Amino acid sequence: MKFLLFLMLTLASVYASLNVQTTYTSLGEIAKKVGGDKVRVNVLANAHYDPHFIVPKPSLISKLRRADVLIINGAGLELGWLPPLLKGAHNGKIRPGAKGFIDVSNAIKLQDIPATVSRAFGDVHSQGNPHYMLDPYSVIPAAKFIASKLSTVDEDNAEYYRKNLQKFVNTWRRYLKNLDTKMRLCKEKNVVQYHELFNYFLNRYQYKSYGNIEPLPGVSPSSKHTLALINTIKSKKVNMILQDVYHNQKTAKFIAKKTGTKFVVLPHDVGAVDKADNLENFYNVISNRLCQ
Amino acid sequence: MKKILILSAFCSSILLASSEVDDLKMQLLQQSEMIKKLTQRLDKLEEEKSPYSESVASSGFDQSMMQGAQTANASFSQNAYLPDIALIINSSAVGRNVDNVDYSSYSTPGFIDADPEKEIPFNPERGFNLNYAEVAMYSAVDPYFDAFAIFHMRAADFEIDEAYVSTRDLPYGLKVKVGKFKSAFGRYNEKHQHAWEFSEQPLVYSGFFGPEGLSDPGVQLQWVAPTDTYLMLGIEAMQGTNEQSFAYAKTNNLYNTYVKSSVDLTDDTSVLAGASYIHGKNLEGNTDIYAADLTVQTQLDSYRSLAWQSEYMYRNREQDIKTGRQDGMYTQLVYDINQNYSMGARYDILMKNNLGDKNLDMYTAMIEYKPFEFSRLRLEYSLDKSKYYGGEQKDVQQLMLELNIAVGAHGAHSY
Repeated sequence: MKFLLFLMLTLASVYASLNVQTTYTSLGEIAKKVGGDKVRVNVLANAHYDPHFIVPKPSLISKLRRADVLIINGAGLELGWLPPLLKGAHNGKIRPGAKGFIDVSNAIKLQDIPATVSRAFGDVHSQGNPHYMLDPYSVIPAAKFIASKLSTVDEDNAEYYRKNLQKFVNTWRRYLKNLDTKMRLCKEKNVVQYHELFNYFLNRYQYKSYGNIEPLPGVSPSSKHTLALINTIKSKKVNMILQDVYHNQKTAKFIAKKTGTKFVVLPHDVGAVDKADNLENFYNVISNRLCQ
Repeated sequence: MKKILILSAFCSSILLASSEVDDLKMQLLQQSEMIKKLTQRLDKLEEEKSPYSESVASSGFDQSMMQGAQTANASFSQNAYLPDIALIINSSAVGRNVDNVDYSSYSTPGFIDADPEKEIPFNPERGFNLNYAEVAMYSAVDPYFDAFAIFHMRAADFEIDEAYVSTRDLPYGLKVKVGKFKSAFGRYNEKHQHAWEFSEQPLVYSGFFGPEGLSDPGVQLQWVAPTDTYLMLGIEAMQGTNEQSFAYAKTNNLYNTYVKSSVDLTDDTSVLAGASYIHGKNLEGNTDIYAADLTVQTQLDSYRSLAWQSEYMYRNREQDIKTGRQDGMYTQLVYDINQNYSMGARYDILMKNNLGDKNLDMYTAMIEYKPFEFSRLRLEYSLDKSKYYGGEQKDVQQLMLELNIAVGAHGAHSY
């Protein structure tokens, strides 16, 4: 009898916590910090893969089916994979517009908002560049937004989320101070990148990106564009070629060899490379590799 | 004296007044100087402001002002409620060893009768085809319903491919769909032609249901189980107008039930399996169809994957003279080589055909090039050994190049 009671209590405590699904790992890390032991966080996308094209496996539908809260990056980053999963999950709690649907891009001032939008310019995101989590300063508004939204879903624990948030924000401000100090020492600041993936980090620390290996967003490299880029790299004295973990590295390596420029692989999210195993280490790996 | 007094009082009041004005002027001057100083300080502060400041919510003043300006002269504008609209165009160039006149009279014994009048909706002509232009629309109706429609247009034809309303917010993982829709059983049936992995329809589908698959007015109820393993149950009641298997004509007659389940073997490899039972009536008796499908997909990296998919169907159709017992299947392997290229092969077979003589089969191979997410060029070869003409089996060889594009707000495809 006692055992049964114990079992029921443990079960009840497990089910008392919120089932939180996030699309990407960095959002999952923030949700864990803010939600503490009142939430169970699961991340849908594998950080080794292109965040634009996650395979919509049916197993992800069953994860969304029981979610109380879904935290997404927004700004179009999940457009290619999340809508059919949401449609299949039959879960009113997390449909767009519901309390449990949290689009973090609402809390961020997006950069690179295009003046005109046409697919003739490639895969342009009309709301702006969606890769804002590359900016370590996005963590605080994201955490605040998530905390305020969690508090509306789970009002009883609002005070708990507020305290967690305060603690986390204080820690993060200290971390940012250290990171800023470290980044001030960096000298080589001319780069090119594969896709406009690292803009937020680059802009934050006054790096200058002189071009992309892909001719247009979402379009594979072409030899004509590559040759033009090589000329740019030479004339602008570019120091580094920044590559993500999921695109083919052949073109970037070829350009690096032709121009004698450093080839640098950067993580785009927590877990994309082994050392980027938590939020701080994610930005640490980027800063270490940019500022060798 | 009185005059002088009044005059002096008047003068002094003017003087006094003028001095008050001077005071005011002084104050104004001082204030404007202060404002000047303050703005200078503000400018200085803004210059000094750390470049490492936090980005904050974009609910800025300017933006809301601009939005105000945009909507000011459109008090009754409903543009924001326009549904997502997409246009899909599919055209092809076909080379075939049979001329167009003969091709329409080819039959598949036991499945498709010879009928020179019959419509061949995809790639009918040797030479050039505009297969279709499709307009797809989707929108939320209100907090309770979603609406979706696909209008399928051909040179001399307009068809409502699908038009249905589905629920948004039912509890317990339930969802109801009402309208004309494609049945969600199996793998190929629910997908539109532009989402098929091969341009040719599998023989078992064209044989049992014809080019549009199982698509009818009706109602659908689906339930997703609250389990770690994906488990979905669906039941459908449909009109049953499909001429090749049902078409009872007197009243609605089609009932369909299916189950789908999926497990991840590893993080990158998943298996999806399904089973269905379809019951309906034809003009002479009952028709029962049993179907099963299996898909195994493994992801090698972001853009490379290998997908093996098979479907099997068995049909028992009661008829006056001789009851038709038939089955058929296909199995296909598709390899996504990189972001731009895919290739694949499929084998189709119709077996145990007690209305025809022997096994009928087809070999298909394709290679496709996708310059971008929304355009696709596909070169497909097929050798079809399922066709008969004048009582004799004829090999149909076909090579086609198909261009498919999608523009506008076109949603992502499901697994």
